[in-house]
Amino acid sequence: MKKSLSRIFILTKRNLLEIIRDPLSLVFTLALPLFMEILFYLIFHNLTDQFQMKYLAPGIVVFSQAFLTLFTGILISTDRNTSFLTRLYVSNTKSYEFIFAYALSVLPITIIQSILFFLVGGIFDTSIFGLNMILAILLSIITSLFFIGMGILFGSICNEKSIGGVSSIVIVGQSVLSGMWFPLEGLSEGIITFMKILPFKNSTMLIQNMILGINNSFNDFILPLLIVLIYTVIAFVAAILLFKHKMKEK
Amino acid sequence: MEIIKINNLRKGYKDVIAVDNLNLEIHQGELFSLLGVNGAGKTTTIKMLSGLTKPTSGDAFIYDYSINKDIDKIKELIDISMQETAIARKLTVEENIVFYAKLSGQTKEEVEQTKEYVYRCFNLDKVKNKTASKLSGGWQRKLSIALALVKKPKILFLDEPTLGLDVISRRELWHTIRELKTKMTIILTTHYMEEAEALSDRVGIMKDGKLMFVGTIDELYKKTNKDNVEDAFIEIVSGGDLNEEITF
Repeated sequence: MKKSLSRIFILTKRNLLEIIRDPLSLVFTLALPLFMEILFYLIFHNLTDQFQMKYLAPGIVVFSQAFLTLFTGILISTDRNTSFLTRLYVSNTKSYEFIFAYALSVLPITIIQSILFFLVGGIFDTSIFGLNMILAILLSIITSLFFIGMGILFGSICNEKSIGGVSSIVIVGQSVLSGMWFPLEGLSEGIITFMKILPFKNSTMLIQNMILGINNSFNDFILPLLIVLIYTVIAFVAAILLFKHKMKEK
Repeated sequence: MEIIKINNLRKGYKDVIAVDNLNLEIHQGELFSLLGVNGAGKTTTIKMLSGLTKPTSGDAFIYDYSINKDIDKIKELIDISMQETAIARKLTVEENIVFYAKLSGQTKEEVEQTKEYVYRCFNLDKVKNKTASKLSGGWQRKLSIALALVKKPKILFLDEPTLGLDVISRRELWHTIRELKTKMTIILTTHYMEEAEALSDRVGIMKDGKLMFVGTIDELYKKTNKDNVEDAFIEIVSGGDLNEEITF
């Protein structure tokens, strides 16, 4: 057990270094969403509630997490294709240790994303600051797990060339189906129901409700959390099974 | 003393038999080269011996540990350098070595000793602070093989170690491998006949998963009546047909 924890820690540190030393990952996970947060607020906040900072900042937090799918996926597919994972497999590292390490290495980035986007949001709307913000940051760790799980899943099955395209499914899904960039009024019931059963809108809603305040604990918190958790568990179980299968195949 | 004993080892996929009833013994301290054309079963053999893939039937014993039953114990005694350059690309050379040493469970003092040992074997100290991705292909391959030494394995598997390298890098790597021969048993696969001749104590020639020849280079010449490895190899894998065609 002690050996296993030690291996997870060592792998996590290496993965984190690989991610933060890639300038592109910092651009897409931090700089681009930050730019969008400020730009969309400045242009649209007087036109629609959608872009008031108390809605926009939580939305941006979850939107930026979608890029974690891409960078987790790139890391894993590169490790697989260069036989780096094969080498580590001979060193007695187990599949679950790899999965834990990949997931843990991305969590510090999630926390930095949440803190950054809420702090900047709070400059424009000070009502964001407070206990709710801290709870929203903690909750964002849970929502990020879905995106990380998807990254591990895609990284296990895609090569370095296809991972970008496949991961964009999640990024586009988060953009279009989260409901953060356009008002839902006017959309058909079918589309809204579709959005409600997917994790994207529920993740965004969870963080937004945490900032705005929870009125109905079941509808505003428990139900969306449950839906996000179900998708997260499915993503991780599929990721673990496929990762193990690919390692054996290798 | 035989430290690897392979008994009727077989690996089959859906419609291909990659390794077919392989029987072989490898002695302590020797450098044994597995030769063969693409798809001959060399890499599959190495993968089975290092626990990366399970045999369909048969067994192999490494220091009397079975690859079917005791693979975790075997993994403590061996390491492998695959055909591809397997390094952490955004880490420096030193960080790569430290990372792999720590992952192998070494203490702080052991990590320091390992660093010195690996630097010495591969002359890596002059590039130790460089990011791995910024090294030339030759240095990256050197680092990749060097990482396989971090555990100080008793048996080292090198799968096509010089594949894709320029002639200077290849010769440098040969020199390093020759020095490693004195420290451990090495099992090497290669396409390059001159590489096998320059490095090997014994060679094994595989074709379609079967072992066609085992012996020293001199024994290979004697058996085939040829005076260079390439012709002798062709004689073994094509039954002489290809040599005759070329001569004609």
